[in-house]
Amino acid sequence: MQARKSIIELFTTFLQFDTDKAIGWLTDARLRRNIVNSQARLSQIENSETFWVRYWYKIWQADHKSLAKGHLLAYLQETCYWVANKTVKNIYSTQYTLSDCFQIAIARIDKVLKGFKPDMGFSLKNYGSAIFSSELKELLRQQQEIDICTNWRLLRKITQKRLAESLENVGMNSKIMERYILAWKCYQMLYTPGQPTGTRKLQKPSPQTWEAIAALYNSQRLTQLSSNVPECSAETIEKWMIASAKAVRAYFYPNSISLNTLKGDGETSRELIDDLPDNHQESAISKIIIQEEQLQRQIERDRIKGVLVAALEELDRESRKIIQLYYGDELSQQQIAKQLGVKQYNISRRLTKVREALLLKLATYCKESLHISLNPPVLDYISTLMKEWLKLKFNHSNSEMEK
Amino acid sequence: MTVAPMIESSHLWLEIPQTEQQKAWEESQSFSTANRCWSAYLNRLSLNTFLPWLQLEYASDAKTSPNLAGLRSIWEVVNGVAITFQGMRLVLIPSDAIDLSELRVPQEWVDIPTWTADYYLAIQVNPDEDWMRVWGYATHAQLKNQANYDPSDRSYCLDGENLIADLNVLWVARLLCPKDVSRIEVTPLAKLSSTQAKNLLERLGNPELLFPRLEVPFTIWGALLEHGGWRQRLCELRQGIRKQWSVPDWLHSGVSDIAKATGWGSIQMRRNYIGARSVEAASILPKIVKELTIDKQRYQLCIQPRDKIEDRIWRFELRNLNPNGMVPSGFKLKLFTEDLKSFSGNQATAKTSVERLYVDVAFTDPEEALVWEIEPLPENFEREILIF
Repeated sequence: MQARKSIIELFTTFLQFDTDKAIGWLTDARLRRNIVNSQARLSQIENSETFWVRYWYKIWQADHKSLAKGHLLAYLQETCYWVANKTVKNIYSTQYTLSDCFQIAIARIDKVLKGFKPDMGFSLKNYGSAIFSSELKELLRQQQEIDICTNWRLLRKITQKRLAESLENVGMNSKIMERYILAWKCYQMLYTPGQPTGTRKLQKPSPQTWEAIAALYNSQRLTQLSSNVPECSAETIEKWMIASAKAVRAYFYPNSISLNTLKGDGETSRELIDDLPDNHQESAISKIIIQEEQLQRQIERDRIKGVLVAALEELDRESRKIIQLYYGDELSQQQIAKQLGVKQYNISRRLTKVREALLLKLATYCKESLHISLNPPVLDYISTLMKEWLKLKFNHSNSEMEK
Repeated sequence: MTVAPMIESSHLWLEIPQTEQQKAWEESQSFSTANRCWSAYLNRLSLNTFLPWLQLEYASDAKTSPNLAGLRSIWEVVNGVAITFQGMRLVLIPSDAIDLSELRVPQEWVDIPTWTADYYLAIQVNPDEDWMRVWGYATHAQLKNQANYDPSDRSYCLDGENLIADLNVLWVARLLCPKDVSRIEVTPLAKLSSTQAKNLLERLGNPELLFPRLEVPFTIWGALLEHGGWRQRLCELRQGIRKQWSVPDWLHSGVSDIAKATGWGSIQMRRNYIGARSVEAASILPKIVKELTIDKQRYQLCIQPRDKIEDRIWRFELRNLNPNGMVPSGFKLKLFTEDLKSFSGNQATAKTSVERLYVDVAFTDPEEALVWEIEPLPENFEREILIF
């Protein structure tokens, strides 16, 4: 089992998991044919990874449904693996395996591709790593929260957009959906937690409340719904709400079926390129991937690194310490708080403040020396990458120290 | 608590003190429905957590706009809190939704000219775990240009992915790209007459009407809300509170709690002071006063009967609160009918620096209403309707 080397491998192969281990690479035959054809059309052989990232990204921009997405998905496999690997170590739960985390994260590929700004010249891997990481943590947090909530609380803890997406996901047509959404609004209007905390255990509404919700629905439907829809009983509204809660839960847990469609062609056209290794080899495989990852992903440009280092040196000792613990030792904010004897939220505040100072320096540099024109989305992009650069910087200096 | 220790660091996370939760809950119980109480509770938690942070880290002068009393009347019908500082205006939009799919901003905060803000902050509150976070922000221009308008609940809805996730960007952008346009112009709202307003209040003041925001066209609804006095009355009607703004009543039985919350109070006049002016009848009565800040100086607006209460001639008077302080030239004290119409002798202008500026007004009809205004506008000015 080797880390991927050739351009063809990088853009056509996918990690294969066996319960909780990465066991090899699978080639997607259609993607392989596609890249071979594309290579043939070029006047000279292109072996630059950056070239191919830009190449597929341009095609993806022109057509989101093209195979280009599959190539970029293949390309980001290690990046996502690395994120999942790190995250799974930091959660004290046996509920999620490495493979689960990998799949949750990789499913957020669209957000990575939508947010990526190739013209700024920073790498897709660094940006991908930042987005996979924040999305994975966010989704794990959301799943944890919905697990604790009763259906009745859950229905009051989602946005309208999320409800609509969930209902659409279970195949509901828009005419029926608008009734469900109106019923849900009436439910929200008439049923609220009756205490300041401990609201996750919210119980089922009383029959009188259901009656009131139905009455409100029946009066609102006349003005709010597009066509003349029939009256609705309290029982029906209750059924709709239970179905909605179920749909919402299903939507929060993207299942493995939908993930297969992310890999371009589906199982049949793929072939295994590596023999399945024995279990004892697994840790070695992870190691190779990780080392490879670290070699490849560096802080983008030496000068950016210089600016970051200079900015870090200007920080006071305690701030530097927090940054070091957070990005270098990868302690959680809670662990840092414990170590420094302060509350977690103070660490969060402190990090926020320090990151602001660093962002100001980096953004100023991007504007003045790289001639990048700044606006809030660009600044947000730099801020996202900055966190990744900080991780890389501290990881790198750690390994240097070990030498 | 398996995942909780992992905090995504793009967002600003703040702890809600537990004592704050109980307090916020108790202070949010007087709204017309349980739904409005819950919404007010989330607004208060967000405000009481975010504002101290903002004051500590960025702007010690940051404050809510309108003041808390004004906010309470907003929360009766709309979600959100506005905060002003250094010429900037933010609106917090709290939600307890788990997902971050969208930011839903009520149209009031976007299209009522005096309510619009530069930035709209998406706040997620988790009252069960004592924290809130700012998970992104959008500008007014972004909401107008990029968001979907949902007519079914009159909101501007922006996809979560279109928000700026890192609040730090807001501060850095103000330094590095100050020309970036945050706010764009909005169309003016309808002008309402007193009769129209009266009819609207009668209808929308009914607490059994659960979606008052959606009952009349927005330009009319917005105009009703923008007028602080009408909004206050709408809120009181929905909450079943009556007769809070009668100045003669304040003189007899004390200033109402609601009016006190907006800064009104009464003081007993010292007899010798009164004696010096030889207005014997007024000496028995307290005078009604409100402290104002205009151009960083403290002033006092005072209302009292010019002679006997029964005569129904009242004096509005503005003085500088500093000993030897004056009311500067150019200041205007104006009185209007409740739909902001002028009447003869309704204003006084300081042509030079003066010791006091006053307007006397005689009432003939029962329960006549007045709105006062001072130019330049006092800090955090809200229109209010006083009954005589």
